[in-house]
Amino acid sequence: MTRGPRPAGWANQVVDARTGASTAWSDLPPVQLPAPAAVVVPSSYDALPAVRGHAETGAELLVVAAGRLEENLRAELGTAGFNLVQGDQVEPASDPREAEEGRVWLLTSGSTGRPKRIGHTLGSLTTVSGDLPVRRWLCPYSPGTYAWWQVVTLGLGSPGQDLVVVDPAELDSWVQAAIEHGVTAASGTPTFWRQTIMSNGDDLAKVPLEQVSLGGEPVDQAVMDQLRTFFPGARISWIYASSEVGASVVVHDGRAGFPVEWLDREVPDRPRISVEGDELVIASPYHGSGLEGAVHTGDRVAVEDGRVLITGRLDRDEINVGGAKVSAGVVRSVLQAHPDVAWAAVRGRRAPLVGTMVVADVVLNSGKTDDPDALAALSKWCQERLPEYGIPRRIKLLDAIPAKETLKSDV
Amino acid sequence: MSSVSRSELRTLMREVLTAQGKSLPDDESAQLSDIGFRSLDFSELALRVEDEIDEELNFDAAGLRQITTVGDVLNLLTEIQDQ
Repeated sequence: MTRGPRPAGWANQVVDARTGASTAWSDLPPVQLPAPAAVVVPSSYDALPAVRGHAETGAELLVVAAGRLEENLRAELGTAGFNLVQGDQVEPASDPREAEEGRVWLLTSGSTGRPKRIGHTLGSLTTVSGDLPVRRWLCPYSPGTYAWWQVVTLGLGSPGQDLVVVDPAELDSWVQAAIEHGVTAASGTPTFWRQTIMSNGDDLAKVPLEQVSLGGEPVDQAVMDQLRTFFPGARISWIYASSEVGASVVVHDGRAGFPVEWLDREVPDRPRISVEGDELVIASPYHGSGLEGAVHTGDRVAVEDGRVLITGRLDRDEINVGGAKVSAGVVRSVLQAHPDVAWAAVRGRRAPLVGTMVVADVVLNSGKTDDPDALAALSKWCQERLPEYGIPRRIKLLDAIPAKETLKSDV
Repeated sequence: MSSVSRSELRTLMREVLTAQGKSLPDDESAQLSDIGFRSLDFSELALRVEDEIDEELNFDAAGLRQITTVGDVLNLLTEIQDQ
């Protein structure tokens, strides 16, 4: 059965970075899955035939990376009526039900706890429309996450948007693959970009990027400024998106945060963004199923110099130091703005007298873990820029940027 | 269990003050308010001790008491490591 018109990007190429093989969407092997199907894939590229199948038949689909499928998630999916498809193996749902046509399920990245399922359709996942410049996109995200679907639906739904698919597990080699395959646009988390600059900085500028996108984590000015030095001619954008509200804020001026004038604006078919207390609240046309109206995002914002900055998760960003409130995100931005710092994470640590103190983990560009001079310089840097209670009193140096399959470092 | 000796505590306390551009006098009866050793500094010193012994200090066990001199700080942090 063919359902509706074929996707506009049917002729776009998808490149498997592991083998270099390039195939048009329409030439991917069509797969018939027992809907509702949860497809467990060993790699990102392996998920594309299932997406092709869904685009053709509308059969209910959920995609999950094998690395994320823990025992309790497997059981949960079975109970929720999904047939679990892994290679040739099909494990029938423990609690079978009728399939819902056109439905695509996403798993949240889990930075807010265990992964949740959010219902979408290819339509609600496609947030970019209109004429786009011809581009070849890097897709580095974990299959089945919102960010992955964003890049995949762009490739499937918009003419002239090719994909080069790499796996989160093979990120060390993405720069070489991107040079080889002429990638002109890449989307990643700030952690992804920081890791790349640290490990592949020498070659990064050779990737002919015209579009650099960041999202999935709070985006600070320092990482965008660094990317600007590698790609002086590229458009550098950051995107606020989540499985719940979709891609809701897109900023192209190369600056952190978005203009305060964007708050509480009513524009037809565009998300309405507001702030309640210090929480970001969004009513979005790209929302997941059942999430109509204003959604409290759980993300904390701060307004500074006419820009609304997203500083981190509400439940983790605020550190109370003896009654004084500190934003972990603000402290992290200060640390990451230091020229010797590749990455930083900031948290509260239980301490006598003041209850909690601000402490930080830092990765230096040098990768050194024993560097008293650098620590002293960082303390001084923070003293000049933060109130006394906001200065991290303990800084631990790590030798590498920690990151998970979601490309986030959980800050 | 490892512990931090009184003289090592002095060294750590000096490091905390030095990082703030202050100094630690030899006189243990020196008033904390005079040398600018404040609650944040005390908290940082406690975290440094915890990192040395790889264990969280239990301040509840120490009970309420006045801490006004350098000696008070060294006494308290020596005692609670033994709790």
